Amino acid sequence: MHKKFEKIFSNSIKGITFFSVMILICIIIFLIKESVVIFDEISLLDFIFGDKWNPVRNPPNISIFPMILGTLYVSFVAMTIALPIGVGAAIFLTSVVNEKMRKMIKPSIDLLAGIPSVIYGLIGLLVLVKFFEIHFDFSSGESVLVGGILLAIMVLPYIISTCDESMIKIAKRYKMASDGLGISKWHMIRYLILPASKKSILAGIILALARAMGETMAVMMVIGNSPIFPKLLGKTQTIPALIALEMGGAQVDSLHYHALFAAGLVLMGILFVVNMLFYYIKKNIDY
Amino acid sequence: MKRTNKHLGIKLWSILSGSILIFLVLYMNIYIFSKGKEGLSIDFLMDMPKGFPLGTDGGIFPAIIGSIYFTSIACFFAGMIAIATAIYLNFYCTNKRIYGGIHMVIQSTAGIPSIVLGLFGYTFLVVHLNFGISLLSGGMVLGIMIFPFIEVKVEKAFQEISKELIYASYALGISKAYTFFKIILPICFGEIISAIALAGGFAMGAVAPIIFTGGVLYAPEPKGIFSPAMALPYHLYILIGEGISIENAYKTAAVLLVLLLVLNSFSIFIGLFRKVE
Repeated sequence: MHKKFEKIFSNSIKGITFFSVMILICIIIFLIKESVVIFDEISLLDFIFGDKWNPVRNPPNISIFPMILGTLYVSFVAMTIALPIGVGAAIFLTSVVNEKMRKMIKPSIDLLAGIPSVIYGLIGLLVLVKFFEIHFDFSSGESVLVGGILLAIMVLPYIISTCDESMIKIAKRYKMASDGLGISKWHMIRYLILPASKKSILAGIILALARAMGETMAVMMVIGNSPIFPKLLGKTQTIPALIALEMGGAQVDSLHYHALFAAGLVLMGILFVVNMLFYYIKKNIDY
Repeated sequence: MKRTNKHLGIKLWSILSGSILIFLVLYMNIYIFSKGKEGLSIDFLMDMPKGFPLGTDGGIFPAIIGSIYFTSIACFFAGMIAIATAIYLNFYCTNKRIYGGIHMVIQSTAGIPSIVLGLFGYTFLVVHLNFGISLLSGGMVLGIMIFPFIEVKVEKAFQEISKELIYASYALGISKAYTFFKIILPICFGEIISAIALAGGFAMGAVAPIIFTGGVLYAPEPKGIFSPAMALPYHLYILIGEGISIENAYKTAAVLLVLLLVLNSFSIFIGLFRKVE
């Protein structure tokens, strides 16, 4: 009886695991298969480094360089804003507030991470974009800058939780020694905790960068979506937004459709490198 | 005196950043709730979308139901395969290479942006497998999206169980299946449920995976898993994106946030319960 039960259980576990791994491998193979068709029409280099996107024209212009730049630019702006605030807030959590306050603030960070991206988009569009239009006299508030600010808020929880985790560990490890030497708390933060958590900060940024580049809805709603080379205060488009906007209108198996798949593949390639970097750094963190 | 001045910069920096963080958290939630609660009524919750363009009037009942269906299908699908994979990796897999390989695949999936998953779902599930734009396709894509998250959390929960307990059970000649159901599952049950609830929150708020696979502008409550459905975040996106009704968008956002809070309170509650123990 037990033997039979064990057999059924282990076989179904193995079966389901095999099935799930197959689906995941299938996704990757499928994406590659649907994308490579485009490279019969246009070389990879032209696809990535050309400067015009107009796949329904005849002859079609297919290259996603403006979108790649747009994606990188928005993420870069977001990182520049999120990094100082994130690290500062992590120090705030580990050192300024007491344990009780920390326990109260920590779940609220999860709350920030749990807000869906459409709601970020809503606030971005109705508050940030309006704000820039009214106070800074822009012709249109939809810009790389607004997208960057919004993304910075969205990735803040990831940076904070990565940094905060290792800062707490470091602080615990050296608290006795530094108290024994009569070093002030802030001196310890400046000369011990900050330098020691360099790697975690880097890991946090990379994790946040991966999130930022893959983000679709919030960015799409505030960035204006025009496939031109990005300027800080001008409109642009990111690869996820491109796919989300144009996939509905692309006929299955048309050139346009394969081009969108290839754009997705390029994005995945960039993210793959970023993620590998993250795991590599994370593995080397010894705190 | 000199010492305080010396670290003034870093002090100011951290306090300022902390205040920005707290301000953001409060602002986001209070803004949505204060804007959304005006005019929020039972009618809005229980009525169909009406008016022209659709959504200017009426309520969001089908979207609420649709969102709940999408989330349950995603949680069921992802929960099943994630728990099975975690069990396999932890208790059955003996080959280091297979273990590493499966982990590698899971990590790569976690890195795929949700819109690309939507692209895959559209072509593979909707067109090739002919599921159509339906609850099933949308739910499965959402499930694939949250699968890595659940798997990692469940596996971590399994690893935290003391090995002695498991080995003692094996040493008594008890089968792995029996050990799992009688020893491991009771210990980890709370954590598994909380992981699934958290992941369900992500699935409920996601738009990108269901744009092409399951969400539609308007549909009555779905009749089966092969019928398309509305979803709250998608409805919200349409309301703002097309500029249909800002007022209704705020209300929809507030409803979505309340649903998410309910879902997340599961895991918070379970977390509290565990600490008491």
